Amino acid sequence: MIGSSWGRPALLLALTIALLVVGQLVLPGFIGLGQIANQLKIAAFLGLFGLCQTVVIAAGGQGLDLSVGAIATLGGILGAALMAGSNAMTIVGAVAAVGAGLGVGLLNGMGVAVLGVPPLVMTLALSSVVDGGLIVGVSLAHPADAASPGLVAIAGRSLYGVPSVALIWAGIAAIAIWLLSRSAWGRQLCRTGANPVTARLSGTHTVRVRVMAYMLSGGVAALGGFLLTGYVGQAFLGLGNAYVLTSIVVAAIGGVTLAGGKAPYGGVACAAILMTVLVSLLTAINMGENGRQIIFGLTLLVFLMIDRRLGAQR
Amino acid sequence: MRALRHAGVIPSLLMLVVVLALNARLQHHFFSMLSFEDNVSTFTPTILICLAQAIIVLSRELDLSLGAGVSLINCFLATVPASAVGGPWALMGLALLLALALGAINGLIVTVFGLPSLIATFATGAVWYGLALTMVPQPGGTIDETIGNVYSDTVFHIPVPLLIVLAAMLIWTVIGRHRLGRRIVAVGSNPVAAFQAGIPVAGVKFIAYLVGWLLVGLGAIAISAQTLSGDAGVGTAYTLTSVAAVVIGGISLAGGRGTPWGALVGALVLGIVANVIYFAGIPSIWQEFFKGLVIVAALGFMVIEQRRTAIA
Repeated sequence: MIGSSWGRPALLLALTIALLVVGQLVLPGFIGLGQIANQLKIAAFLGLFGLCQTVVIAAGGQGLDLSVGAIATLGGILGAALMAGSNAMTIVGAVAAVGAGLGVGLLNGMGVAVLGVPPLVMTLALSSVVDGGLIVGVSLAHPADAASPGLVAIAGRSLYGVPSVALIWAGIAAIAIWLLSRSAWGRQLCRTGANPVTARLSGTHTVRVRVMAYMLSGGVAALGGFLLTGYVGQAFLGLGNAYVLTSIVVAAIGGVTLAGGKAPYGGVACAAILMTVLVSLLTAINMGENGRQIIFGLTLLVFLMIDRRLGAQR
Repeated sequence: MRALRHAGVIPSLLMLVVVLALNARLQHHFFSMLSFEDNVSTFTPTILICLAQAIIVLSRELDLSLGAGVSLINCFLATVPASAVGGPWALMGLALLLALALGAINGLIVTVFGLPSLIATFATGAVWYGLALTMVPQPGGTIDETIGNVYSDTVFHIPVPLLIVLAAMLIWTVIGRHRLGRRIVAVGSNPVAAFQAGIPVAGVKFIAYLVGWLLVGLGAIAISAQTLSGDAGVGTAYTLTSVAAVVIGGISLAGGRGTPWGALVGALVLGIVANVIYFAGIPSIWQEFFKGLVIVAALGFMVIEQRRTAIA
């Protein structure tokens, strides 16, 4: 049930509702409209970074992108520097941020698909270069770091009660689900991940597909970092760090298997919502960063074990 | 010589010579005893942790929780007073036991539950880090000075850190020449064939984790002996360093190919690069960037070199 394409999202949503009910019982007021809107906002960011991992893991070859945090920080800092607090320049900042993310993703993809560097090593090494470069850039240039009022409105405010960043996420998620499970490119991606040899023999340009997967991951991560700048109000070093672990957690819980070839973004999106509610519940009962890390790690292990069991049965 | 080429250590040795030459030029009295001792005690933790990663990688697994494990052991040493457990030596023994326990957990998860080590150890790493943060929320606390003194001591004029590295390499060499070493390589290069040949694949992998984590425990004690305080973030960087050193040392992440000497060379290259960057007077803001760049360059060099030899 958990493995089928609808069972998993349904289970994750059921767990989310159960958590919300528990939250309401422990802390009356946990299920308020404002609360839920707020959680959707946070889930939107997690969901965007989860998309990055979904695409590169599906591309196979032990795919993983550990540079999403560094790329997000890059997107945030570069975007903030270019827009310099002005609404008119916001779009320029956004385009530059996404462009830079695509660029880093291109390097990741070339290293992984062309040179054959293991994704773990490639993305980790490149993320230390990007982080190091940002330290230099920020120390030398002292760029503007504030988000423009327009970006703050987009990332932080709501439209008729629905947070606008959640609407952006919904749009991207719809495109992603179509792209990954309905489009020709999505089929090529999953074929490449499942078995690169047969994919190549049946005419799929596997190198190009993998490079594009890492570019997509970089672009989305940078956009996530840019929007995050608007949500927090300013860009800073280490802005995206927290999303490296969490993005992999939601991808794994959402049903992306490390073996590659599967890209169920619907499940990943539901996992992002579930983990956001879990974190907010843990925060509400005053659990610190330490407890959250432990719970994240254990949740990931439990889901890996469930998947393993189900995989063995089939 | 042929054995070295076969092990893929030649390009990494080349890199080592280059960085050594640079370091000798930049660091005054590089070849004097004092700076030698200094360098050895700085490099020892890196070497131990890279060796640990190497043995796990040879068995075709991976451990992304090494860094967090180092932090956890460091925080354990900073939290538990030596007097409560019967002296600093007992405390160090307990730290090693803790390391073995962490290795056993990872080994069980990978072998008995059959989870992919890449992501499963990523998860356990989060748990270790969370536990370390619970013990030491803010960097601080003190570690028994005896541990620091032992570490900076000498035995028969040989610095203790050097002895530890020599002992670790000796253990490695002994393992490598005996059944366990051959089994690890057999399991790493072809688990199915190893299984059919009657080798207990899961057991061998589990032991690889235990041996690896024993080295991690030693490395964590070495780090703690130098800092003498607890910090939940102290180990973080070692995860990347260990994986990079393994790749630079010519050990295939696909398992079964490479030697511990490669890991030693890889660890030395990375350690000396950090030294060079420090002594070259590069402004501190540039240091992170250069370190990352050197790792990427070294990785690229290794990958291209391996490809060239594979074709030849």
